[in-house]
Amino acid sequence: MNVRLHITNWLLVLLLLSLSVSAQQIRRTRRIVPDSIDTKRSTRRGPYTIVATAGSGLSYYSTHVLIPDALEQSHLSRFGVPASFRLMWHPDHRLRVGLESGWVPMYSYRGQITGEPARVNISVIPVLVVFSMPLAWLSGTERSIARRLALTVGSGYYLNQSRLRYDGSVVGSKNSLGWMAASSYTQPIGRRFRVAGELKWYDAVSAENAAFTAEVQLVWRAFSW
Amino acid sequence: MKRYAYLVPVLFVIAFGGCRKEYEAPLPYTFTNSPGSGRFSPAVRQAIEGIYVVSDGSTQFGNEVALKWSYLLEGTDSTHYLSVFTGLDAAYFNLEGSSQTDSLVMNGYWRKLVNADIGLAHLVVQAKHNGRLQAFTGNLPVGDTLVIKGLYGSGKAAPTRPLTLQYIRPLNRKPFNIMAHRSGGRTSDLLPASENSVAIVKLASRLGATGVEMDVRYTKDGVPVLYHDNTLNLRLIQKSGLTGSLESYTYKQLSAFVRLINGEKIPTLEEALEAVVYNTGLKFVWLDTKYIGPMDPIQAIQQKYLQKAKQAGRDLNIVIGLPTTDALDSYKALKNKENTPILCELDTAITRSVGAGIWAPRWTLGPQTDEVLAMKAQGRTVYVWTLDEPTFIEEFINQNQFDGILSNYSPVVAFYHYTEQ
Repeated sequence: MNVRLHITNWLLVLLLLSLSVSAQQIRRTRRIVPDSIDTKRSTRRGPYTIVATAGSGLSYYSTHVLIPDALEQSHLSRFGVPASFRLMWHPDHRLRVGLESGWVPMYSYRGQITGEPARVNISVIPVLVVFSMPLAWLSGTERSIARRLALTVGSGYYLNQSRLRYDGSVVGSKNSLGWMAASSYTQPIGRRFRVAGELKWYDAVSAENAAFTAEVQLVWRAFSW
Repeated sequence: MKRYAYLVPVLFVIAFGGCRKEYEAPLPYTFTNSPGSGRFSPAVRQAIEGIYVVSDGSTQFGNEVALKWSYLLEGTDSTHYLSVFTGLDAAYFNLEGSSQTDSLVMNGYWRKLVNADIGLAHLVVQAKHNGRLQAFTGNLPVGDTLVIKGLYGSGKAAPTRPLTLQYIRPLNRKPFNIMAHRSGGRTSDLLPASENSVAIVKLASRLGATGVEMDVRYTKDGVPVLYHDNTLNLRLIQKSGLTGSLESYTYKQLSAFVRLINGEKIPTLEEALEAVVYNTGLKFVWLDTKYIGPMDPIQAIQQKYLQKAKQAGRDLNIVIGLPTTDALDSYKALKNKENTPILCELDTAITRSVGAGIWAPRWTLGPQTDEVLAMKAQGRTVYVWTLDEPTFIEEFINQNQFDGILSNYSPVVAFYHYTEQ
């Protein structure tokens, strides 16, 4: 299963990267058309933009949890406050590519074992290659709702971390493959800044950790050329 | 660009549809585990053991099967189980005698280790006298033959398909060690007990093993426990959220928070050896060194349980495996090496230099006929590991050079060993 997941993840990444390259090639093909033949078409590339995004909100652990039987008066919390950071390249075509990381609390539980307090916290640090696409591009302006809505998918590694506090403290970690899918709405608030709301699903597959998050994000169009 | 439109849905189906298949083999039968043997007296049990030809059911279980009894001890009580080892798809039966009837009835289940096939089995032992089947009472006059007839099914459904076994010859009694990997079998083979648990140690004999290999590690506070992998992971343990190396947790933490896949605790080495000595008839334990560190605590436990086995009148050998040069160094650092049986997996020169009584090369090195004969000529025992491929198991057994095989598929080794002529 893991091998198949690896292959599929990388095929998806390669496919999306090749889509991005293909879009560039189409543009280049258009550029070699002499201006005398099609003077109305613009031959200027760009603009290209590097966009940095930071967000936070609420996460909800959305898959099964087993609390050890030894734990008495146990209490489970599926909610947490995640933080995410994303760096995207917005080219002059619809498909955008970038990297995302952050910290997502998954769940925690606590209780007592023969009168001694015990607590476990589980979180992940995703490191993902992400692809994003606005719902509209060729039609409408930035004022149109469709251009402000975007779908984002990502794939890569998750660093799954556990922290146990009982009979001392132990921090453990495990790498796993996984993916992410999100949809967002971006509202311009200035020439360089936007505010976005994003609903996101993180899935660290082989560690069986998955969470749904709702984030408010600050989007900074850092560089443009 | 359009060609990608067809690729995307295919990839998504593979990614999110293809990996969802549940692979499990829930046990369809609950053993009563009643102590005593009821109508299956020692004479009856002895008569039943042997090689049988399969008439009805040969497409499912092959043309020949080997029947062998094993037992579990609880204090002074013993419970007997009949295992059937087949030559097809690593299939085996686990059966117990029924005390509910006047005839020799056995109930249980069959399982194929190469897939998740499992089902119920209901068999009756009879004697064939002058071509007619009659009740078997324990006496088998010359000319009569044992016939075991019954039904087998699929899953939890009542058995409906016929199975007929007819005795043809006794088991091969040549001394040979059938060693089960990971204390009896792998969790990934969907056995009813988790690997490296006390429960799988107790099950090992019913899977054909005469010995077991245990994976020994130290917890953070120095308690030797059984666990194979480097890390806590969902392949071996139930989901508790805890990750990282087993060695970073104390035994108290593991004991409270970690359960193996089938719900068992990670056992200490002492708990596992206690089960070997007082609950099973196993004759050999191979302590595989998965740790890097001092060997003294393992040596002390080895000697303690060798002594206990001797006091209990058990013919049991417990050896410390030396799979790496690190383990070799730990062994060399022991202050007193007397009464410390070891098994060396390294080359023949190292095996000789440390005076190991057992040499255990990996099977992928081939038969190594000259080396094996030379080591045996020096009075050493030679085992081969970890051999799971039936073709090679048969070949290695037929070559008659090795004294034992370590395998994840002990029922397959048992079949080829007992049927060898």
